[in-house]
Amino acid sequence: MKKGKGLLSLILVMLMTTTIALGGCAGDKAGGTSFNDSITIGIPQDLDDSLDPHVVSAAGTREILFNIYEGLLKYDSTGSLNCAIAESYDISDDNVTYTFTLREGVKFHDGSTVTVEDVIYSIERCAGTSEEEPLVPAFSNIAEISAPDERTVVIVLNAPDTEFLAALTSAVIPASNTDVENNVIGTGPYRFVSRTPQESVELVAFEEYWGERAHITNITLKVCSNADAVVMELLGGSIDMYCRITSSQAAELAGSQYQVLEGTMNLVQAMYLNNAVEPFDDVRVRQALCYAINPQEIMDFVSDGQGTEIGSSMFPAFSKYYMEELNHVYDQDLDRARELLAEAGYPDGFTFTMTVPSNYQPHIDTAQVLVEQLEAIGVTAEINLVEWDTWLSDVYVGRNFESTVVGVDASELTARALLERFTSDFGKNFINFNSAAYDEAFANAISTTDDALQTQYYQECMTILAEEAANVYIQDLPTFVAINENIGGYEFYPLYVQNFASLYIIE
Amino acid sequence: MRYFVKKFFSMAATLILVSFLVFAAFEVIPGDVAVSMLGTNATESSVAALREELGLNRPFLTRFFEWIGSCLSGDFGESYSYHMPVWEMISEKIPITMTMALMSFLITVAVSIPLGVYLAKHAGSKVDKGMYMTNQVVMAVPSFFMGIIFTYFFGLVLRWFVPGGFVSYDKSLTGFLGYLIFPSIAIALPKIAMTVKLLRSSILTESKKDYVRTAYSRGNNTTEVLYRHVLKNAMIPVITFLGMTFTDMVAGSIVVEQVFNIPGLGRILLTSISNRDYPVVEIIILFIALLIMVVNFAVDILYRYLDPRIREQQSGRKESGKEEK
Repeated sequence: MKKGKGLLSLILVMLMTTTIALGGCAGDKAGGTSFNDSITIGIPQDLDDSLDPHVVSAAGTREILFNIYEGLLKYDSTGSLNCAIAESYDISDDNVTYTFTLREGVKFHDGSTVTVEDVIYSIERCAGTSEEEPLVPAFSNIAEISAPDERTVVIVLNAPDTEFLAALTSAVIPASNTDVENNVIGTGPYRFVSRTPQESVELVAFEEYWGERAHITNITLKVCSNADAVVMELLGGSIDMYCRITSSQAAELAGSQYQVLEGTMNLVQAMYLNNAVEPFDDVRVRQALCYAINPQEIMDFVSDGQGTEIGSSMFPAFSKYYMEELNHVYDQDLDRARELLAEAGYPDGFTFTMTVPSNYQPHIDTAQVLVEQLEAIGVTAEINLVEWDTWLSDVYVGRNFESTVVGVDASELTARALLERFTSDFGKNFINFNSAAYDEAFANAISTTDDALQTQYYQECMTILAEEAANVYIQDLPTFVAINENIGGYEFYPLYVQNFASLYIIE
Repeated sequence: MRYFVKKFFSMAATLILVSFLVFAAFEVIPGDVAVSMLGTNATESSVAALREELGLNRPFLTRFFEWIGSCLSGDFGESYSYHMPVWEMISEKIPITMTMALMSFLITVAVSIPLGVYLAKHAGSKVDKGMYMTNQVVMAVPSFFMGIIFTYFFGLVLRWFVPGGFVSYDKSLTGFLGYLIFPSIAIALPKIAMTVKLLRSSILTESKKDYVRTAYSRGNNTTEVLYRHVLKNAMIPVITFLGMTFTDMVAGSIVVEQVFNIPGLGRILLTSISNRDYPVVEIIILFIALLIMVVNFAVDILYRYLDPRIREQQSGRKESGKEEK
């Protein structure tokens, strides 16, 4: 009998826990839906690559750090460069001397004031001396950097570079910070408070920000690693906003308290071909693939027809360089594709592997449509899904692949950020593109100081990429932002960034 | 005493073997922590430089023994992804996953034992037959699927909890426990079904044994016989099963954490594997291995306490000089 009593009390304890817990549950529900000065934003992956603004590699982390760190200059939502830590700047007539005047009293998040030493330290940190390729490639062009007085920084270049200003958006950090990974100190509108791995990151509006203080005081970034549960979390009210939902998720949110905003991702989605391996070392084969596919059909399948067709490594938001006509270099023409294949010695087609990272559904969907479209010209593609890390080491660094479907974005709004990748000896030229004409056009583009001429050279680069069929270009993917109706002020940027400072709560 | 010493050494040996296997697995699988850290900034030269900096170019065994050495001195290393001590990272996740496993274990025990006894007592009744059907169904449904149904039904339709609205235990203990109730039930349900089935049949088998007849002949009624005699013997296979169940639940919570978006050990384990953050993976797997061994050990002890026959068997074996298992 003794035992029976023990069991009974165990059950009683259980029941008590249940009651208490259910009580707590109801309380939270009310808290989740009411707004005051804090919002929770869902993010698809944790900021687990690095919080060091100069080391960060994931686009998903970089877009968040945009709120924490600033450079001398900063992009706005139209893509123009505005002064941030710098108050004004002056460029000498020969385009090699840049003189920046620092804004007075810009504070770091730890309360200290930004000094010229901090600016010089940050730039030198990115210019790096030992590494082959510096963190910011444009900084390798710096001949001398000095501070004639407490508010002036003078940068002298080896050779003129019309895009040099864009590089100055790279973050300024305090020279005294010895542990950049763990002491997150910037000058941006939001201050990093704390984080719990795989759970959340807390940000708070920086009171001493030099510009307009961010409207929403507390922002919690909640890691929603399960993409399938995002709609449930939105509908349940545990997150107020999610920046990257899919078109089918957007459809599920119709009629709810969420508005869905549509923009473009600003990346170049393509079937990237390893130009160094057979059969893709033959330009005719690459062209045949381009003739075989139909981007519109892909968009219809992947994102209900949203998205923008592209024909080279440039997306439409870059209106200065974007060339719509390149979309028509290869309009779908199966006969022409078969002809080219026959000429190249593959009259019966061939078989190849598409190595696709498994972490992003639109790329996988695109690959599936590509398989079907290529089937029509007798080319058999096999999809090999790999983890992101395997993709990075095998495809991106190891270059051990035949083709892959991914999107490539630009870290800064310059044509160089997108096009330098395809110069033959560049470390990140993972497709092994090799064209003397391209290298020359690119070299001309970065050395000229004449803006119109430079645009012309860059467009020449883009045309070469299209004509040489370096890759099978597909689209700039659409992006959908789900945001609670109570939140206004969301702005799309032509870059891969999220600006939380512009958000506000509608009363 | 000798038993404990032996047990301790076999546990230590198992832990070393497990950690060696994890270490070796990271040598074999594609992907590289240096590449993972550099992401799209990676070039051959920058990867080589970072590998050198992290000391990854040294021989495998050197790194392994060094790691063991620092673990023994209490330093579990630093996460490559988060640049914080592994222990600091994991210690705040252990309570989450353990609470969930413990809750589902308690729910399993609290529901299945009374239910199993009841069904055995009323074997053949309509309730018994009805429960048999229900049991079969519940047993077949995996807990992650149950989790999805729960999230939809209790979360979105009835709004009893906020899907994904996990609250950390240091912020609100009741909110924390409240959020874990549904995941715990999702993990517990299939286990409840199995335990009920096992207990019911175990009681029925025991009831046919001679000592039960003797007990009845002494004038005891059904209830007395059941609780005093049958249940004690019938519980032995159930306890073995529950022991295994508990370790299963720790594993089960790793999956269910994904469905309910709970940032526990499972989430950290999964992302650390994909980030090739092996210091973290090592410690989590070691922790789970240790947990499994401790639970098995506890079950062993419990047996000896519950059933004198096992005790005698073991000491008898010892006397005849045979190896103890």
